[in-house]
Amino acid sequence: MKRYLKLYLYFLRFSFSKAMEFRVDFTFKIVMDILYYTVNILFFKVLFLHTPLLAGWTQEQMMIFVSSYILVDAISMTVLSSNLWWLPFHINRGDLDYHLIRPVSPLFFLSLREFSASSFMNLLIAVGIFSYSLISYSQDVSAWDVLLLILLLINGTLIYYCCQMLMILPVFWTQSTKGFMDLFYSMGIAMERPDKIFKGWLRIVFTIFLPFALIASFPVRLFLEAFHWPTFFHLTAVSVSLWIIMLYFWRRGLRTYSSASS
Amino acid sequence: MKWWKHVAALELRKILAYRSDFWVTFLGQILIQILVARAFWQMIYASQGVSTMQGYTLEMMNLNYLIIPIGTRILTGENIGFFAREVYDGTFTRYLLYPLSVFQYKTITYLTYSTFYVFQLILIYGLFRTFISSSPFMFSDVGNLILGVMLFFVAAAVYGMMAILIEMISLWADNIWSLAVMLRFFVSFFGGGFIPLTFLPAWGQDALLWTPFPYLISLPVRTIMGLSSLAEVSNGVLILLIWILFFWGVVKMMWKKGQHRYTGVGI
Repeated sequence: MKRYLKLYLYFLRFSFSKAMEFRVDFTFKIVMDILYYTVNILFFKVLFLHTPLLAGWTQEQMMIFVSSYILVDAISMTVLSSNLWWLPFHINRGDLDYHLIRPVSPLFFLSLREFSASSFMNLLIAVGIFSYSLISYSQDVSAWDVLLLILLLINGTLIYYCCQMLMILPVFWTQSTKGFMDLFYSMGIAMERPDKIFKGWLRIVFTIFLPFALIASFPVRLFLEAFHWPTFFHLTAVSVSLWIIMLYFWRRGLRTYSSASS
Repeated sequence: MKWWKHVAALELRKILAYRSDFWVTFLGQILIQILVARAFWQMIYASQGVSTMQGYTLEMMNLNYLIIPIGTRILTGENIGFFAREVYDGTFTRYLLYPLSVFQYKTITYLTYSTFYVFQLILIYGLFRTFISSSPFMFSDVGNLILGVMLFFVAAAVYGMMAILIEMISLWADNIWSLAVMLRFFVSFFGGGFIPLTFLPAWGQDALLWTPFPYLISLPVRTIMGLSSLAEVSNGVLILLIWILFFWGVVKMMWKKGQHRYTGVGI
């Protein structure tokens, strides 16, 4: 564990010095993410011009939800996305060999090697938006509620990571350069909507099989509404199952990996 | 065979190189977008207890969100970042050596993708009108579809030039991928890709009329849905043509200066 922590600190140092080499790009990326946050907030602000409630939430409650999925996105963009973007290319070109022979877990290395320094600045902004939405919330909340929300959002980031990996791993079999990444990004829209909008079979899909509704909506619902044990157990069970399924397919994929580039 | 046919054929082969990925992604994206949008708006209409919001019935809203993802692809093609990447890694040199204009080549690749997506749009629109829509299919719907597709192509010319302008910044800056993504955000939000523009406050709608954005997504989509009058369409085309002239001038000016900055070494 200590060795991995030390290794990760090296990753951080390397990523920051690399980001500083391309300063214009570094600045553009910060502006890009700020624009993404603004567009998402504006979308709901515009909707609230026409309705007082959305999925049973008021505007200030909805802002907590929006800032929560922005926070998950920011963590993911900072810590994971740059790595996962290149993973299909490594598999397709046969570059995975270099990672498999290292005396370190390939999944750890390939998922955490690149720390996005520019996104880190945005992570700070996302934390600011999240904090502001909590501070400006008119109801009383305890520190424990806030702590639980943060922990569940970190868990949401892991769900997001597992879903993304499950869309990439088919590359081991299809040999394409992207996997189903475009499909994954389209599915991201399900994370950006309150889970209460999903009814019937669609609810089963987005809360069990493609659990995007569990990333931000379930944690925020547990925070805003009375704590509901079945919801919490559902969240835990799906998270653990998803992690096991992802690891299973990762190992199966590695066994299929032929090392030859295509 | 003329060179552009070769280029188009090559691009088509690229699109369909990984067929299973392609079809799963295409159908999956459409399905996810429409199912989430439908669930979301159904909830809003039901909670408000109304059948129409800002001129859209629920069925029209569903059709709107069905057309938008494919329409956006017709608009944007697929070559985001390719021009800049070539400048970045030095492979841009080939366009300066071969007896072929880089702009002609890029236009053909762009149009190949856009044309391909037009067929997807026709397929999805046909399926919606046949199996989901409650209104009877009329001859004018075909006219609206053709007019809307033509508008998408005019809009694609404007978007293409905006994209090229941004890509050309790579001749000065090291990487412009994030600027290209920003352009997409702007076009999606202010073009009506996120939410119909009639939902914006009146002052916002008025301000946007001076920009190219509402004519890039909202106008073609509304035309396909039969919501635009002929006057609105002709006015939109005129404004798009003015923007094409403007961007063409800027692209020429930037290219004249930018190409002298290209070192061919790559970074």
